[in-house]
Formats: sequence, structure tokens, C-alpha cells
Amino acid sequence: MSDHTRFEELVLPHLNAAYNLARWLTRDVDDAEDVVQDACVRALKYASSLNGAGARAWFLTIVRHAFYDWCKRNRPAEIARDDGTAIETAVDPAAVDPEQAFLRNAESKALADAVAALPLAYREVLILRELEELSYKEIARIADIPIGTVMSRLARARGLLQRSPLLHAAN
Amino acid sequence: MNCKQAETLVAAYADGEVDALRNYSIKKHLLGCGGCATSYQSMLELRARIRAEVPYFVASPALQARVRATIGAVRASVPPQSRPTGDRWRWLSGGVLAGCTASVFAWMLGTTVLAWRADEDFAVAAVATHVRATLGDHLIEVASSDRHTVKPWLSARLDYSPPVQDLANEGFTLIGGRLDYFERRPVATLVYRYRLHTIDVFVRPETSRAPTPELRAVRGFNVAHASGPSMDWLAVSDAEPAVLSAFVQRLAREDVSH
Repeated sequence: MSDHTRFEELVLPHLNAAYNLARWLTRDVDDAEDVVQDACVRALKYASSLNGAGARAWFLTIVRHAFYDWCKRNRPAEIARDDGTAIETAVDPAAVDPEQAFLRNAESKALADAVAALPLAYREVLILRELEELSYKEIARIADIPIGTVMSRLARARGLLQRSPLLHAAN
Repeated sequence: MNCKQAETLVAAYADGEVDALRNYSIKKHLLGCGGCATSYQSMLELRARIRAEVPYFVASPALQARVRATIGAVRASVPPQSRPTGDRWRWLSGGVLAGCTASVFAWMLGTTVLAWRADEDFAVAAVATHVRATLGDHLIEVASSDRHTVKPWLSARLDYSPPVQDLANEGFTLIGGRLDYFERRPVATLVYRYRLHTIDVFVRPETSRAPTPELRAVRGFNVAHASGPSMDWLAVSDAEPAVLSAFVQRLAREDVSH
């Protein structure tokens, strides 16, 4: 199978998953599209290393790498602030304008905002688990962290959501 | 297990990611500890809310077109493989030799794995069909969540009448059906939606062939198989294997009652 056929048959069916992850990581429509575009070019380059099983997880790993490279170029402060250790705030200050969040009364919007406001390290494991329904093992491989860290970050992410001021503002 | 230990494990327990031993001790702890049971309950509620309320973003047609265009451009920029004319004959004879060896090898390999391939083929063909259907606009030919519409539409085009069940109350919403072709025979395909996943269910009259493995992964998609009293059921989706397997077994179990 040529790399192009491989890409079209194995990778392209997971374009929505790629976009969803990029969209939640960048929190921006256009930036997400740029990241996905870059990820596709990389995926095509490495398509020969793909053996078919776990194509979605493989592609999402590339999307995540593409995002971090994009982030280093465009939002270096976000990575520096967001190394995943000892983050005690539930809200990433760059994420949302809390004033605006107060004005929205739709509860579901509030939950989506609270997820978007999670620090990067927590947001990515939460999206991979809850929206992509991947196992801890797959998430560990994609995010390049031990399974124990996946577990603790997920627990932390959910704890932060439960206590999120954005969520309580709408209630 | 104490509350401190339980606290760190409750989320993993809710995700079904705790090993059997700790699973037992956390279950025991939750039965005896009101505080931890409450936090477990609110964890489940939060998960349900996330899955219901947090949007799953899909790629716009513009992005799909952009990706395809880029891929096309990358393909076009790959220089054609050219060789010096003097080398051509040597290269050609090498090719013929390699070709012969490959054929012999393929034949030997082919005969050994022929039996295994037989039921492998249907699963692979089913996944290819699922991918084609979800990528293009061929997903559904009769769009209806009413099984009394889908069933007669399929029966009118086949020499068998596939049982059609709507399991919307269990999370599997029937969204329609279509006809596919396998081994030069038309086959009924039922299309279900489960959360964000599309599930194709291929229904054929029960065959007397060797049993197909119940669950496997082909190209990253899950394929689950079950035999019912009158039909052979094969489901293909990117949904979780356990979910897909339970679903197809549920369909097969009741295939005569509808």
C-alpha cells in the first residue's frame, strides 16, 4: 500500500477526532485547523510506520505533537505556565473572560467553558478520555506520560471541574 | 482501604480502569463509607454531564477540502522515479526475477493461510465498506428511525427479511439502512448512532461456515460478530469494543422475536 493510500484509508477517517482534539487544545477554530493541517502533512510523512491497528491513537499522538510545536511558536507562555505540576487554580487565566461567563446562563455552555478553562495538561487527558473514550493506556501513550499520571491528572481535572467557579456562576 | 486511598482511585474506578484486587477493596469501601460513596456518585454525574454537554467538534468541509488539497500537492511534488537508460535492462531483469520469487512465495503463503483468510475477508470487506460509507454520502439509503419503515425497504430488495430493532432507550438509535454487496450478494446494513459513533450492522442469513472470532480490530476499527437463531450479525464501528460486542450480541439474541 502506498503512503497516500495508507493515509487516505487509515488516517483520514479520523479527521474529526483530530480536529476535536486540536480544537480543545487551541480553543480556536482557525488555529485548530492549522494544527490539523500540519498534523496531516506529518502523518503522511510517517504513514509507512502505521500498521493499521490503533490508527486513531497514532494520529492523535501526531496532532498533539503538532499542537505543542505550534504552541511553542505562538503561545510559549501557555506551556511555561502549564507544566502540569502543582497547578492549583481551576481556571487558566488566558482561557475565558469570567465577566462574560457570568452573563451566560445556559448551564451546558458553562460546563464547556469550564472544560476549556482547565489547564492544558488536565484538559488534554480529559478530552481524550471523555470525548474520545480512549483507555488510560492509550492516553498514556499519546500524552507520553505514565498511566499513574493519566490517572491522577484525570482525577484532578474532574475535581477542578466540580469546583470550577464558572460552573457555579451559572447555577 | 481508607478514604485517602479511595479518593485517588474513585475516578479510575468509575472509568473501569482499576485492577480486580483494588476494584474489590474500593467497592467494599464505598459500601461502608457515605462520604466516599457521595463523591463517587457526583463523579458519575459529572461524567454524564460532560458527555452530554461538552461539544465534540467536527472538521468543517473547508478543512477536509484543505487537507485533501495539501495531500494532493505533496503527492504531486514527489519526483517521479527515473533511472539512467543504461541501467534499465539490468533493473528489468532483476525485477522479473524478484517477481517470480515473489509469486512462488505468495503462492506458498497463500495456500497455507487460505482457510484462515476465508472469514478474515468478510471482516476486512465490512470495515472497508464502513469507511467508504462514512466518508462519502452513501451512509444511508433509507433514513428513518422507525424500524417499520427500514425493514420493509430492505425486505423488498433482498431474498430475506432482516430483523430490525430500535434500541434507542439503550443508547443505540436506529438512523437508517442501506444495501451493500459482499461476495456478489446483496447484504442488509443497519445504521445506528451510539453517542458520537456510527455503527454499521451487516445482517446476513445464518451461514454454516466456521465461526468468526467474536471481536477483533481491523485498521483501528472494532468488528464484533454474533450468530443469532436465524441471522449472522457483524457490527463495525470506532465505538469501544465492549460496547460494540454487547450491542451485537443483544441484536443476535432477539433476532427472531421481531
